[in-house]
Amino acid sequence: MTVAAGLGYALIALGPALSIFVSVIAKKPFLVLTLLSSTLFWLVSLILLSGAWRAFLPIKSSALWAYVIVIVTSVSFQEGVRLVFWKLYKKLEEMLNAFADRKSKPRLFLTDKMQIGLAGGLGHGVAHAVFFCLSLLTPAFGGATYYVERCSHMPFFLISAIISLAFLLIHTFSMVIAFNGYAESRKSDQFFVPVIHMVAAIMTLINLAPGGCAIGVPLLCISAALTLQYCWKMVCRRLRDNSDGR
Amino acid sequence: MRRRRTPTAMDGSILDSLGQEIVGVMSPVSICMLLVVLLVSCLSPLPSSIDSPSSTPVTAATLVYLESPSDPPAKKLAGALLNAAVFVVLVAAVTFLLVILYYYNFTGFLKAYMRFSAFFVLASMGGSILFSLFRRFSLSLDAPSAILLLLNFSVIGVLSIFSPAVPIVVRQSYMVALAIIVAAWFTKLPEWTTWTLLLALAAYDLAAVLCPRGPLRILVDLASSRDEELPALVYEARPTASNHSVSSSPFPAASVELQPQYPVNLNPNANPNSEPSPNSSSNDSSPGPNQADDSVVEIESLAEETLPLVPAATSITQLGSTHGDPISSVEQDDIFETSRGIRLGLGDFVFYSVLVGRAAMFDLMTVYACYLAIISGLGCTLILLSICRHALPALPISITLGVVFYFLTRLVMEPFVVGASTSLIMF
Repeated sequence: MTVAAGLGYALIALGPALSIFVSVIAKKPFLVLTLLSSTLFWLVSLILLSGAWRAFLPIKSSALWAYVIVIVTSVSFQEGVRLVFWKLYKKLEEMLNAFADRKSKPRLFLTDKMQIGLAGGLGHGVAHAVFFCLSLLTPAFGGATYYVERCSHMPFFLISAIISLAFLLIHTFSMVIAFNGYAESRKSDQFFVPVIHMVAAIMTLINLAPGGCAIGVPLLCISAALTLQYCWKMVCRRLRDNSDGR
Repeated sequence: MRRRRTPTAMDGSILDSLGQEIVGVMSPVSICMLLVVLLVSCLSPLPSSIDSPSSTPVTAATLVYLESPSDPPAKKLAGALLNAAVFVVLVAAVTFLLVILYYYNFTGFLKAYMRFSAFFVLASMGGSILFSLFRRFSLSLDAPSAILLLLNFSVIGVLSIFSPAVPIVVRQSYMVALAIIVAAWFTKLPEWTTWTLLLALAAYDLAAVLCPRGPLRILVDLASSRDEELPALVYEARPTASNHSVSSSPFPAASVELQPQYPVNLNPNANPNSEPSPNSSSNDSSPGPNQADDSVVEIESLAEETLPLVPAATSITQLGSTHGDPISSVEQDDIFETSRGIRLGLGDFVFYSVLVGRAAMFDLMTVYACYLAIISGLGCTLILLSICRHALPALPISITLGVVFYFLTRLVMEPFVVGASTSLIMF
């Protein structure tokens, strides 16, 4: 993989995150801090998970059931982590509002809350892309590339970049959805997030079948698009309600 | 939409400015770490050329024991511990010397010494890094222009360190450049020595800043009681916004991370011991000058090690008085700004970057984990600073977290994540 190809793969995986960061996050220092802490949060959860699974490694690639267990436990654990993150955010929001009252500034706007959700989700997504895709890219610079036996159409790095992109989008925007769902206590939003996360994770299992990535990766992208669409509709609705209410 | 709803809002939500001070410190640290990681991954020797054991420089940190890959772990550990102990003792001695000099008002000498060492770091160590970059990428530059550029670069750097006339951006960039150069040299230490050294320095930092008679604490107290700038290389975060935001800032007190510089005299003492070692066979084309550089590096590194994070209590009262009168505060801008921004010792920059640079020799995954750990440690330290408002050591929390995350990532997470992602299983 040449340097140009490596950069291209990295941009496929992280390009959207980069543009969100530059256009929204970087302008407000507080969002940068939120992003960093959410990334750390995800990293800690990943370390805990791998600590639990360390004893059973390596998993044989033929043992489908083992992968199913890994995915189900990991996704449920991460959704639990999201709940903890939400609880922490709730406390933070109270502190921020009290702080704003003291400064006689307006309390947090709806858009502020959504931006905090976006920053938190982006932290999860970036951490995912870095650990699952980028960290494999960097040692691989050189004259050759790598193909997985079961998916010989595309270089391994291209596939993992595309998968990372899909997961980055899912992580980022499902955090916005989840935060709004918790805040409004709408059950449908609260259920949508773990379901789409679990569905997306299970779709990567298709990659284990020979040639399966030709089906699994597009399906994954579709579920990412679905998340985007759902998030868009929900944000539009809330903004409309919000401006009508005033 | 949201503007309409709050016509009374002066300038949007509180999110707009909250946390500026923290990010103002974190971003230079991040830039420094990023550049060190790039430098390390560009310059790290190809696997085929590692075989020459003489490539490890002999410095103050490897006075006692020179690690060789074939040694058993127990020997490596003992040697590394010895190295770290010797290094910390050296640093402590130099710091005490500095404090004594400062106590008896040799401020001019201290500043001259610091200018000299900054020049030395920029010109000779920076130059040698520059040349190895040229070699690595097969660039060519004729000697006269290289020397001219290097000299100009170094002289501006030296001028910018203590002169208030230089724009603060220039000073900040030179501080980062100094940190990068020193950190890049430190990453050449052998692995075990690096880890023990980092931990030992974190412990030393803790003691030197927090103990009632700790040298750095004495230095900070002296400087604030004399109302002077610290005689040390310190990164100053850009002063944020204007006076009216002072009260809203969660960091009313300036925090200072100090880093003392060691005296020149140390060099001759430390060098003779390390010189006779057989590293003259190192592959550098000019062994003589290089060895001298090594010892200087060590000394420099000593200076970098003392890194207490100090908030000056007196600055609060200063702030109060200047704050009352906006007009007079204009003329006092220097004092105002310097007493307001968060200050971080250059040594913190260096050792954060050393940790990340060492992690970069393993994998990007460890780099990222260490970066997050260090930044969150720094964040914790800054939050503590806003609570207890006196100088705090910036190394202990960050370095401990960084080391813990490095080994957790390397030993626990790496196999799991690589195993999952190479089978294209992600979640």
